[in-house]
Amino acid sequence: MKPAAWLRSVIPVMLAVGVLSPPPIMAQVPGRSYWKTLSGANAVPLIVQSISGNTNPFDPSYTVNPGANINATMGLAGYLRAFPLFGRATTAALLVPMGRISSDVILAGATASEAARGFGDPTLELCTNIIGPPPQMNLVDVLRYEPGFSLDLLADLAVPIGEYNSAQALNLGQNRWYGRLGAPIVWQIGEWVPGQRTTLEFLPGVWLFGPNTNYQGKKLETDPMFQVDAHLTRDFTERLWGALDGAWFQGGKSSVDGVEGKALKTVALGFTLGYQINENLSLTFGYKSTIKDKDEGALQMDGFMVSLVAGWHSLIEGVRRLKE
Amino acid sequence: MIENTKNPRKGPGFGLPSSETATSDRAVLVESECSGCIGLTTHNRTYQDRSSVGMGKDFILRLLIIVVMVTTLAATAIASTPNEPRRPNIVIILGDDLGYADMGAFGSEIKTPNLDLLARDGVRFANFYTHATCSPTRSILLSGVDTHLNGLGNMDEFSAPNQWGVDGYEGNLNKRVVTMPQLLKDAGYHTYMVGKWHLGKAPDQIPAARGFERDFSLLDGAGSYWDMTNLAAVSPQSVFTEDGRYLTRLPDDYYATKTYTDKLIKFIDANRGDGKPFFAYVSHQAPHDPFHLPQEWRTRHIGEYDQGWDAVRQARLKRMIELGIMPAGTQLAERMWFIPDPIVLAPATRAVLGKKMELYAGMVENLDFHVGRLIEHLKEIGEYENTIFIVFGDNGAEGTDLFKMIAGTPGTRDYLFAAANWSQTHPNAWGDPGSYVSYGPMWAQVSMTPFSQYKGWMAEGGIHNALIVSGPAVKRPKGSINHGLMHVADLMPTLLEIAGASYPKTYEGRELPALMGKSWGKVLSGEAESPRTEQDYLAWEIFGNRAVRQGDWKIRWEYKPLGKGDWELFNLALDPAERKDIASEHPDKVKALLAIWDSYVRANNVVLPSRSPFETLEDQLPKRVPDDPGYPPLIYKRQFVPPKEMMADPKP
Repeated sequence: MKPAAWLRSVIPVMLAVGVLSPPPIMAQVPGRSYWKTLSGANAVPLIVQSISGNTNPFDPSYTVNPGANINATMGLAGYLRAFPLFGRATTAALLVPMGRISSDVILAGATASEAARGFGDPTLELCTNIIGPPPQMNLVDVLRYEPGFSLDLLADLAVPIGEYNSAQALNLGQNRWYGRLGAPIVWQIGEWVPGQRTTLEFLPGVWLFGPNTNYQGKKLETDPMFQVDAHLTRDFTERLWGALDGAWFQGGKSSVDGVEGKALKTVALGFTLGYQINENLSLTFGYKSTIKDKDEGALQMDGFMVSLVAGWHSLIEGVRRLKE
Repeated sequence: MIENTKNPRKGPGFGLPSSETATSDRAVLVESECSGCIGLTTHNRTYQDRSSVGMGKDFILRLLIIVVMVTTLAATAIASTPNEPRRPNIVIILGDDLGYADMGAFGSEIKTPNLDLLARDGVRFANFYTHATCSPTRSILLSGVDTHLNGLGNMDEFSAPNQWGVDGYEGNLNKRVVTMPQLLKDAGYHTYMVGKWHLGKAPDQIPAARGFERDFSLLDGAGSYWDMTNLAAVSPQSVFTEDGRYLTRLPDDYYATKTYTDKLIKFIDANRGDGKPFFAYVSHQAPHDPFHLPQEWRTRHIGEYDQGWDAVRQARLKRMIELGIMPAGTQLAERMWFIPDPIVLAPATRAVLGKKMELYAGMVENLDFHVGRLIEHLKEIGEYENTIFIVFGDNGAEGTDLFKMIAGTPGTRDYLFAAANWSQTHPNAWGDPGSYVSYGPMWAQVSMTPFSQYKGWMAEGGIHNALIVSGPAVKRPKGSINHGLMHVADLMPTLLEIAGASYPKTYEGRELPALMGKSWGKVLSGEAESPRTEQDYLAWEIFGNRAVRQGDWKIRWEYKPLGKGDWELFNLALDPAERKDIASEHPDKVKALLAIWDSYVRANNVVLPSRSPFETLEDQLPKRVPDDPGYPPLIYKRQFVPPKEMMADPKP
């Protein structure tokens, strides 16, 4: 009955209601990336992807290299913070890609290889809610948060400072400005109770690319590319959840010195499993692959993804210290 | 005292409304016409026979008119028994753990428009007593006899070793008493029950065996509102009966409060039109914990209770005084010493604890909604005006953590049972199956504003409850408030009187114990303000806690630390919240009341229990200290802000 005891009893509640949701990552982010959290919360994601296909996964335009066999080990580290902006729940993130990439291209019986390693283009992301619950400014708001139907506006901007070698086609940096405008949607289905949460999520967006004026000495231009990610997510237990993932790409036709390639029209399917290790750590594992991709010139890509997200909030940490 | 008890056919002793008189007149008219209608029917048949051999169109028209008349008159005749005034239906609506201050008509902010409607149409009784826990109150209600004689000398769940095998302490409503539904059924009433029974589970103890023609009953004292899940590992399933049969499963779409109401409406409709009045015991499980309720009822008060219990209590008391429920100048009972001032709690803590009260308010509002459905149905079938409603809670609001008491010890079987069945603890799941929410002593005190303590205890917060009576028996001004000293035991003589029945000396060859209550006949008719004189007394004992009230005076003995382990004395007219024990100032009054207590013990075979659920409470709660508002000042000190002109940066 002591007040302190009551306060302690509240802590698991506030920690359990999603203080730490995974932050967004580039391109195809897992489900639940746009759930909102307590303002002032911080997160550091570490994402590792092993990707194979005929495109450079560091380049979100996914330009197809017919006949190429590209393998990449891609890491992504960053920092995210939740805060209110004009009275709306907002997150800002800085994400830095890194890794290794190599390709073998068989042309006329000969194999040409390229490889690159280092850092890619860092990306700034700002995502602010337009329709949905108000920002969670305190623990009371956290307690009462349910996404219902929420719609955000998202803007990504990649800064072209990543590793780039104009002599080769395969690079981690893209040597051009690019970014995305999107509208993440989270649609709550049923009760918002850990262990029972179900959501249908969409991220329609358009990627916009500036020109790369030194693409092996030529000018690379890319049309806008439309992308819709979709996720049906469901809690299995209070800590374990899963998702069926889909992605659709269209557009993004590239031209090199005016010589046009083909536009993308691709669908990818996959799944994600997520586990909340404790109040500070969450782990996800996913696999995704393009489908109906046997035609020449079609995008072929599949990959495994493992992410570990560490999150914290000064208030939660303080309460934990007192609790201990 | 009880009028017209010799002749059940003579009708209520304290009058019926004008509509009732009209009904009686109509019954006489129906009888004379109906005599003729038999002849007309005969004639009609004869005429039809003739028609078949080719009579004219005017004869067919006349035939149709006659048929319509005959049908109408026959239906009317069925609806009324010849030579008998139409007696009123009786509906007792019992809220389980419903607090004194939880209905809008008694000052609550909880929205109870349907219960308030009954209050507006009837009378509110502000000085009504039940027992301190549920099955004892129910046993008195249904038998009119003291708990120590009727089998509920202790609750079945807490019966003490020295009470085992003692008559009056069976833990169920024993066979030495006759029940109200038995007597009302004998008097020509249909008798229906829906809801919580809690007076025995054996075949000879269930509602069907104790006078109810139709029932849909939860035999346990508590459990899920959604299914048959009960609270303890040894008794994992709630037991239900329907019309005397033990149910193997619950109906589809079961939700306790809704299903009870649905069933009662069906019972009423099934016998509609046979001319017999009905007695319905609507013994709702709500708002007893766990606070289970449909989603749409959980979100009607979001954030309203974040202000904390003190503010809500103060607001309720203010409205009570404005309404006339409590006299001007009434003080709130002290906040119990182990309950913090909500002002010192973090907003999130207040939100979590406030949400429990949000759910409770939703429970009460949902209960009210289903009461409204019953009222509406009775209006639709034309029975509302001829129905007496009696509404009250069975004891004080629940401040004890029942769930913790049962399943709070890790490693016990009940703890594991709770882990498997009652572990849905997330606030967003509160109300769902698998969640167990109760609201604690702080909100129980709100429900019992302005009184002290709660269910299980002998302070006013344990035994004082709100009562509404409406319907044809009530002659007092509509919407009025009465402060006469009333008791749940009074219902047996009162309702027998209304039904034109009497309490027999023997029943089925058994001599019956005397009734302990007094009829409200003169109170309801406006001839008296109270059924009791200044010399009449009320007495209670449960779990070893005990009390006597005579006139404005009350002594009580309670286990420490809520009580003193000794007799305390209060003048309830001056101090309804029992803030000040004045035993040392009035030793003669204590002595006189103790003599009454001794007499009560002897007359009712009171065996004080050798064990009590409260026997170790003193070791569990913090040391009792006075509640001095604002103490210690330390926790209320705000940031000191110096005068601006005197502020400066440090000198180098």
